[in-house]
Amino acid sequence: MFTLSWSTLRDRKQLFAGALVAIALGVALVQASLLVLMSVSDPVIPSDLPRAERNEMREGFVGAAMLMGLQVPLVVFLAVFVVGSTCAFAVAQRRRDLALLRVLGGGRGQVRRLLAAESLLLGVVGALCGAPLGLVATWGQARLLEHVGFVPAGFRPTYWDWKAVLVAGATGTGIALLGSWNAARRAGRIRPLEAMHDTGAAARVMTPGRWCVGLSCLALSILLAVGAQAADMIGAVTIAMVLAVVGAVALSALAPLVVPLVARVFGLMLRRSALGALAEANIRDGARRNAAVAAPLITLVSLVLGLSGALGVLARSIGVEQEHLTRGDLVVTSADGARAARLAGIPGVADVSTRLTVPVPVTAEVRRDGPGAARPHVFDERVIAVDPAAYARARTLVPVSGSLADLRGDTVAVGSAVPAEGYRAPRVGDTVSVDVAGRERTLRVVAVLPETLDIGDEFLIPREALPADLLAAAPAESVLTVAPGTSVAEVAKRVRAAGLGESTTVARWAQGRADAQQDGNDKIFAVLLGLAGVYALIGVVNALVIATAERRAEFAVVRLSGLERPQVVRMALVEACAVTTIGLLLGGLVAAAGMAGTARSTAAATGTPIVVVPWGMLATTVLGAFAVTVVAAVVTTREATRERPARLAGART
Amino acid sequence: MGGMSGKVEYAPRDAEPVRPAPARPDVPVLEMRQAVRGYGGGDARVRALDGVDLSLDAGAWVAVMGPSGSGKSTLLHCAAGLDTVDSGRVTLLGEDLTGADDRRLTRLRRGTVGFVFQNFNLVASLTAEQNVALPLRLAGRRARREDVRSALADVGLADRARHRPRELSGGQQQRVALARAMVTRPRVLFADEPTGALDSASARTVLGLLRGMCDDAGQTIVMVTHDPVAAAAADTVVFLADGRVVDRIERPSARRIADRLVSLEV
Repeated sequence: MFTLSWSTLRDRKQLFAGALVAIALGVALVQASLLVLMSVSDPVIPSDLPRAERNEMREGFVGAAMLMGLQVPLVVFLAVFVVGSTCAFAVAQRRRDLALLRVLGGGRGQVRRLLAAESLLLGVVGALCGAPLGLVATWGQARLLEHVGFVPAGFRPTYWDWKAVLVAGATGTGIALLGSWNAARRAGRIRPLEAMHDTGAAARVMTPGRWCVGLSCLALSILLAVGAQAADMIGAVTIAMVLAVVGAVALSALAPLVVPLVARVFGLMLRRSALGALAEANIRDGARRNAAVAAPLITLVSLVLGLSGALGVLARSIGVEQEHLTRGDLVVTSADGARAARLAGIPGVADVSTRLTVPVPVTAEVRRDGPGAARPHVFDERVIAVDPAAYARARTLVPVSGSLADLRGDTVAVGSAVPAEGYRAPRVGDTVSVDVAGRERTLRVVAVLPETLDIGDEFLIPREALPADLLAAAPAESVLTVAPGTSVAEVAKRVRAAGLGESTTVARWAQGRADAQQDGNDKIFAVLLGLAGVYALIGVVNALVIATAERRAEFAVVRLSGLERPQVVRMALVEACAVTTIGLLLGGLVAAAGMAGTARSTAAATGTPIVVVPWGMLATTVLGAFAVTVVAAVVTTREATRERPARLAGART
Repeated sequence: MGGMSGKVEYAPRDAEPVRPAPARPDVPVLEMRQAVRGYGGGDARVRALDGVDLSLDAGAWVAVMGPSGSGKSTLLHCAAGLDTVDSGRVTLLGEDLTGADDRRLTRLRRGTVGFVFQNFNLVASLTAEQNVALPLRLAGRRARREDVRSALADVGLADRARHRPRELSGGQQQRVALARAMVTRPRVLFADEPTGALDSASARTVLGLLRGMCDDAGQTIVMVTHDPVAAAAADTVVFLADGRVVDRIERPSARRIADRLVSLEV
């Protein structure tokens, strides 16, 4: 039996190479994710650094660990998806071969065992190739984290850990076996009669398994999309991300149904030329093949658009929220508190509310959630010093408990980032410690501020609680209210002329907050989907290469019917472009469903429905997808048409 | 087929070890009774076999002829257990194929029947030798080199054992396919347009080989063809039209077959 496997392997290089590449890269990616996750979860932080820097570095690592924790399941999902789809496709392409085996006396079990043994072999070889590739991927992932600033420059991840390597290898092998399991089961049912037909009986594309996966994921997607409309904003954004995954699986499974429909639409444009008509017919006829090419594209697009759209909504909402929360005309950023203090003297300024960011570490003795003794935890390296009355006038944030009016003397109002770190938030009546220039001070919590999307006013301290020299030196941000009848622009000009700082309108300032958040999001996105996106694109190329290599005889026939080689290449190109478009559209559909949910919930939260279409990312994805498929289609078709057609047309491939 | 005698020990367990000699000459090798097989549904339903009655004796070479769409291929598929009839009865070597499960049909393919196709259906990646050995391996039997070589020698291709299909001419490929079909010593050889893709010289060689198997070893052959010359090499020609057997001629000439065929077409 293995002679057959080996010789098939030799003869159908593309088929096996495709599956091998998918497995090896999947293993490499999973391994890299695991290793980097391990490295950032248990970072080595130099003890000779100042405490503030050490804390900052630790915060970076915590963020990186959170991201990698998200990335591991994402990468495993992609690996399952790409490997599974490639293996199943590879088996589908060998249908006639397998039918011939049945005619020659092969039993069902033999066909199944042959495929299972092959995929086990592929899985093991793929895992072995994947392990060294994992070193490269680990390096790349670490550099990516370093580049976006989550880890300090020169961060060295663990490159080898037997547990991680074995887990990744086992995952790859397991996925390969699972991926071909279903295909092998189906292959066992291939009827020997199928070998007798010249063209090969069109195998049923929509198998019960495909229906089952497609419909159940579709139902789940619809539930998610409906649920997102009712969820709060963070919920809706989370749902949009999950929807990107589930929806992609649903539409990929149902793609063979959709492909012919979309092909019909394309046909209206293509039908005028003979080549176009042929391409259209091929798209519809090769539904299985085209679905295999479209599947990784659908996933890629829905993940890219879904994730970046959801993150974009989050950023934009922060801007909208900040704008809603702020009452005033201008926001002035001053270099220090001393300058900010002079703003009130500018003619035309009716009110000033200044926030001073003072570098004072805040410690509190609080419990972690769940069991565990109370112990001191450094929450923040800075506090915000304000004039409580002015703050209350310029900011519409109403405490959920306590009152800002009590913010006098050694007191503090706490914000929402505290529980976010897994510690129980201090309550009204609790105390926190601040380290003011080496002297510890105890502050009583008098108010708890509601949760906001943006991290900002976590520890609000009245100005009088801090020494004047610290306040005078602290960077300041002031909300100015302009006196009635005075031009806002004129006041801004005066502020600048006095050298007190840069002014922007509240709207523009809020937009700036959103942009800052978006910058952070872009980094998160790059870490999450950078390598994974490349992997999905490789999956697309893989499917195209497999699909085209199997079309030698078909190409030979159309050449014998009078098409020249460049025309065949053009025909394949049109098909590839159409399939790419289909993949992009379906992926976009999934992303759109997620966006509809977030739009509804942001409308409920902020009054304006927020939809962020990440145009830049969309353009990059579309161009990247087309570039990759066009190049792959041209190269593989040229390769598949190299031999003289008369030799190939009659031959069994 | 003198070369076959050395392979008796590898004969399928469920097959007769010695040939020709069907145990009971009075029992037909293949019997079809009122066999019906249709495709498609509703108005588009086509009855490829519409009540076929056919009985074939052991050791005979039967050619099935008829116009395109007369049901020749379906008849072959149903007779060989590759397809099942909707109603009626098909008996092959006394074994009822109607309602036989996959396991029985697989066993049948391993030892009782062999196939030759119009497009050869060799596995492109395997050498001639490996292609011939494939059915033995699939049947879980040891493929002894001398058995495989002698099967190739029987079709005159002893010197081509290491060649791959693409290095062989069409006629040579079909002879490899013939060796592959015969290596398990099948009781019945089913041939689907075996000369359909060959030039006339190669076709003559293949027909000569079939004739030899039939004469020397009493091989039972069921062949579907549309070529009167090929059919004339057979002992009996059965004519099919619209899914029914319409005529049967013994030892016919190519001209007579052609005339009969034309009369069926018009």
